[in-house]
Amino acid sequence: MESQLEKVLAEIAARQDTVGALLANRQGLCLGAKGNINPSVSGIGMAISEQVAKLEPNSAVPATICLYSGNMRCVIQKDGEITGVIFKQQAAAQAGSAAN
Amino acid sequence: MSDDIKKYFNGLLHKVSGLHVIQITDRDGVPLLRVSQEKNLDFALMPSFIPTFTTACDQASKLGLGRNKTIISMYSNYQVVQMNKLPLILTFVGAENCNTGHILALEHQVDGYLEDIKQAVTEA
Repeated sequence: MESQLEKVLAEIAARQDTVGALLANRQGLCLGAKGNINPSVSGIGMAISEQVAKLEPNSAVPATICLYSGNMRCVIQKDGEITGVIFKQQAAAQAGSAAN
Repeated sequence: MSDDIKKYFNGLLHKVSGLHVIQITDRDGVPLLRVSQEKNLDFALMPSFIPTFTTACDQASKLGLGRNKTIISMYSNYQVVQMNKLPLILTFVGAENCNTGHILALEHQVDGYLEDIKQAVTEA
């Protein structure tokens, strides 16, 4: 039943620098996770996306949130009822230039 | 000590949008701490509410899937998330569209604050 969902997650997780990815439903419950990511992040990820959506209530385009922390990045996007959370690792070259 | 815990849970209540009540009771339903928004939700304090959870939790633990930790009950107007932290029961009551995942993620955060209450209940 969720094979399509798992296929999408596998595609995202296979991309360069991606550590893990998950999808959450409108109640913040994890629909699926792939890679090194804690499924309990789904609720907080969705809460962040909901708060950010309040900044531009009239915007038709879903907001994309990018949180930088050390050498990791967390990208959150809410589209309709589904929220996607992706953990990415900063590429070595990028991390070096950011430190300079 | 109690004021600190109450302040902490009050903070949690405001962090999760749509959350109306957080209640800590012992396994018989005796209320130990309760924080709530202005909305009055007396059903969360009904004498049968918590003992029913305790019974359901005990029965669910017999399914062979390990010890039951959490029960989420969805109603038309509310949702109730109850956590088994014996000797304590942690009850969250929220709106039907409240972020359930966010409530579940609080489970590990509150553990440190529950230790003192747990000890007091065990000693009593």
